[in-house]
Amino acid sequence: MVSFRVPLWIPAAFLAPALLGLLVFRLGPILIALVGGFTGTTLRGDTVYVGLRNYADLAEDPTFWSSIRVTLLFNLIVNPFQICCAMGLALLVLRPTRGVALFRAAYLLPMTVSIALTSVIWSILLEPSVGPVNGLLRALGLPPQPFFRSENQSLATLILVCTWKGAGYWMIFLLAGLLAIPRELHEAAAIDGAGSWQRFLRITLPLMRRPLAFVLVADTAINFLLFAPVYVITHGGPAGSTALLMFEAYQAAFAFLNHGRSLAISTVILAIIGVIAVLELRLFRAAHERAE
Amino acid sequence: MTPAPAGRLVLGALRYAAMVVVAAVLLLPIWWILVSAVRPGSEIFRYASDVGWRTLVPEQLTLEHVRTMLGSDMPRAVFNSMVVSLTTVAAGTMINAAAGFAFAVFAFPFKRALFAFVLLTFMMPFEAIVIPLYTLIRTLDWTNTYAALIVPDLANGLVVFLFRQFFLGIPREIYEAARVDGASWWTIFLRLTMPLSGPTIATAALMQFIHQWDAFFWPLVAASTPELIVVQVAIARNITLEQANWGGLFASASTAILLAMIPFLLLQRYFIRTVTASPDK
Repeated sequence: MVSFRVPLWIPAAFLAPALLGLLVFRLGPILIALVGGFTGTTLRGDTVYVGLRNYADLAEDPTFWSSIRVTLLFNLIVNPFQICCAMGLALLVLRPTRGVALFRAAYLLPMTVSIALTSVIWSILLEPSVGPVNGLLRALGLPPQPFFRSENQSLATLILVCTWKGAGYWMIFLLAGLLAIPRELHEAAAIDGAGSWQRFLRITLPLMRRPLAFVLVADTAINFLLFAPVYVITHGGPAGSTALLMFEAYQAAFAFLNHGRSLAISTVILAIIGVIAVLELRLFRAAHERAE
Repeated sequence: MTPAPAGRLVLGALRYAAMVVVAAVLLLPIWWILVSAVRPGSEIFRYASDVGWRTLVPEQLTLEHVRTMLGSDMPRAVFNSMVVSLTTVAAGTMINAAAGFAFAVFAFPFKRALFAFVLLTFMMPFEAIVIPLYTLIRTLDWTNTYAALIVPDLANGLVVFLFRQFFLGIPREIYEAARVDGASWWTIFLRLTMPLSGPTIATAALMQFIHQWDAFFWPLVAASTPELIVVQVAIARNITLEQANWGGLFASASTAILLAMIPFLLLQRYFIRTVTASPDK
């Protein structure tokens, strides 16, 4: 469509509130993080320029590196795992036979439970002594587990809890992709004698590359910034096993009141998210330009 | 190769069994919380350790926990969350729709660059800027005000984008006819295009509502006084501070779950349609 040429003040008036909001409350904080990362607070409470000191401190801080390691490990597992589960769910409810619509809707319900509430719910369910999950394990004759109380299980438990909430949400996107694959392709391959596993590998997966990539990038952006479960359930423990980066930034700002350090960590987080966002923008653009 | 009818029947039955198991894993935790809110306190954990059908079906119903909840900070928190969410939806829809309208209808300098900026802002999750945003809000002296909870969330790049896509689909002739009739652009936007965009408004409203209703990190940081407490922070506080009051915690968690489910169930059709249309269609 051809756009209307009008005096500049008209589009400006329409754009101003939203663009101003985005400029002040999205771009503004980014600039504050970039600049504030170079500042520190004196004992008298004055803000002073400290150069690269915050970053040098971070680089030498084993707690920071350990939280980077935990965040990377968490993301390397949780994102592929969630997407495999979401893909499994999408394939499970793909064929619209009797009652499937009901299951599709049911699988979406956990996404209406906020992440803070998810954390509260699962910290009760997984409570080692009185929680119903261990009750169920005992009823099945299995040994009860410590879950979030054990250094070895806490991160894995966190991954499972996030997947409980996220799998249904990502399923919608993958289901949309699967429904867009023309039936004839599968039918033709079936006539040629391809089994269902072969059809999945040769037809479904290649055609699902774009939706899968989109979901992977969007999911990673969310999981890199995971905060609520760490704050509500584990406080980073036991022994730092769930100390994700966002929680470290929060601790620096509000527990240790080290403002410069918290803004330096925020800058590191923004840099990582920036890379992810650019990737996402590319995928998004490519998808839309093809459609328009 | 098509499997023999008997094999097909078995496969179909296995598929339904798998769907039921998944549904149980996803839904029973929610059900258990809801049930625990209306059963006597003595029953809650008894049947959590001694798992059986009673774990999921209460023997007696009681409103004692609901009463406990009504005497806690939960009513205040629900009120605050409602004020924040509804204000955000009302004001946010207007300003984002206006920007979407400008991107769809007008020609102006730097349009592509400004639009790319809008796209980038919604690729960046809100959590990434929470800490520097707090610095900004403190400088503005907005900490512990409704403004701190509402204003930063009004402008939303994704909502601008959704409205732009919708307004692009309206034929140019309609705008031209209205201009010939002497309507101002503001009248055209408000009286002509907004009434046409029901599904987009529903989706945008649902997205902004859920974002505010679910917000936890930002309110925790920016406005956590008892007067401004919101639902998510209230519940998370309950579990860390007063473990003894399980019944009240279950009742407030159930309230939060049900209140978030209602708008979702009402508007999910639009939501799913718009969401699934955005990445790859």
